[in-house]
Amino acid sequence: MELIGLAALGGGLALDGTSVGQFMLSRPLVAGTITGWLLGDPATGFLLGAVLEMYLLVSFPTGGARFPEGATATVVAVSCASFAVGPGSLPLAAAAGLLWGQVGGLSITGLRKLNGHLVPEPFEPGIRPARVVRAQAAGVVLDFLRGSIVTLAGVAIGRPVVAYLSGSWPMGPAESLALVLLGAAVSTGILLRDFGGFRSRRFLFVAGFALGVLGMRFL
Amino acid sequence: MRPLPRLALVWTFLRSFLVQSSWNYHTMLGTGFAFSMLPTLKRLFGADEEELNSALERHVDHFNAHPYLANIALGAALRMEADGEQPETIRRFKLAVRGPLGGLGDSLFWASWLPLVSILSIALGWAGLLPRWGVVTLFLVLYNLGHLGVRIWGYREGLRLGRSVGHSLARLDMSGWSDRLRGWASLVLGVLAALVLTGRGGLVEAGWIWGALGTVAFTTGLWVGHRAWRPAAALAVVAIGLISIWGVVR
Repeated sequence: MELIGLAALGGGLALDGTSVGQFMLSRPLVAGTITGWLLGDPATGFLLGAVLEMYLLVSFPTGGARFPEGATATVVAVSCASFAVGPGSLPLAAAAGLLWGQVGGLSITGLRKLNGHLVPEPFEPGIRPARVVRAQAAGVVLDFLRGSIVTLAGVAIGRPVVAYLSGSWPMGPAESLALVLLGAAVSTGILLRDFGGFRSRRFLFVAGFALGVLGMRFL
Repeated sequence: MRPLPRLALVWTFLRSFLVQSSWNYHTMLGTGFAFSMLPTLKRLFGADEEELNSALERHVDHFNAHPYLANIALGAALRMEADGEQPETIRRFKLAVRGPLGGLGDSLFWASWLPLVSILSIALGWAGLLPRWGVVTLFLVLYNLGHLGVRIWGYREGLRLGRSVGHSLARLDMSGWSDRLRGWASLVLGVLAALVLTGRGGLVEAGWIWGALGTVAFTTGLWVGHRAWRPAAALAVVAIGLISIWGVVR
């Protein structure tokens, strides 16, 4: 029953990724917190969501580009982490999420190819409103099913693997979190480059860094 | 200027949230664009089924734009249809705006607004200034204020100005806004970097070696750019995999 619920959650959040609204419910930060809350482990959900958010901030859904899917990846990651015990659950779940994000991205590409066969041809004579509505409805339903199946498969495969490996994880909690944060650090470097690079943003970035260091002293 | 039916315009606006539902590599947003226009087109052409079908044939054609800024083209195309503009003029208008609406939207939302709101929310959460749900609520409310504001503004401007909507777009100076937002985002990114490096649960807390590795990772991303992302993510997965295997066999 829980698996079906997670699959439905993955499917619903995946819809927000592209097909419906794009209100950003599908961002890892939101998806992770919701999943964690539903599984009774909101702290892990939030932490994994924040970490995956940092990883995935640099890959946007622009045009026809293939991008890792954050929503299904985060649902998979959080459900793997909440199923396992020990400090290894966090890095292993994050790895499962990153891996499954690529699977989700591939499935989006497949769906987009399929949609190409379902939509009416431009200037096809006699296109009726019902034909257009059917194509849109099919797009929504197929995207929901795609998200659900990707999530279900990810949870079904990921949970036992993460649970098994986390039992013998050799690092402590602080080192495990640090290991995951290293990859996120690469993404933050890429972000600063996207914002204009260190040379043009150095004053703002350094001012922010100083503010962060000082803020920690006084908070 | 022919008035457009208000209720149908509201339906069209609501349908615009589904503009990407049948996104495909062939016509991209084309079908979604026609789907969104449908309630208003039905009211405009009334019982003239042939006219309606002919308008649909035109609008399912290839079209692409940022999903939020597509509303500018949507409103303008409806205004042009209501004003009885030639189909070829409408087609050329859509051809002309799709590039700028894609580029400006990607730059404003995906590369500026989303990272700024996201980094700000995570930084406030990491610093312990907001509880978990506070972080998520702040992120969603702040992001969607910008998102919905631009959707509504774009749709109204398109409906008001029709094919002249480009002037309004130029006056808004979206590139300038993107640049300013990226400036603010750089400041907040500095705060987050400090928190992740030296804060509670940060890299230095795990040991100075982790802090040094984090600095190297950050510099690598800054230096190499987007080409570093996939290898870094792959490396993280492989490293975690190898460590876990070592844990099993030792």
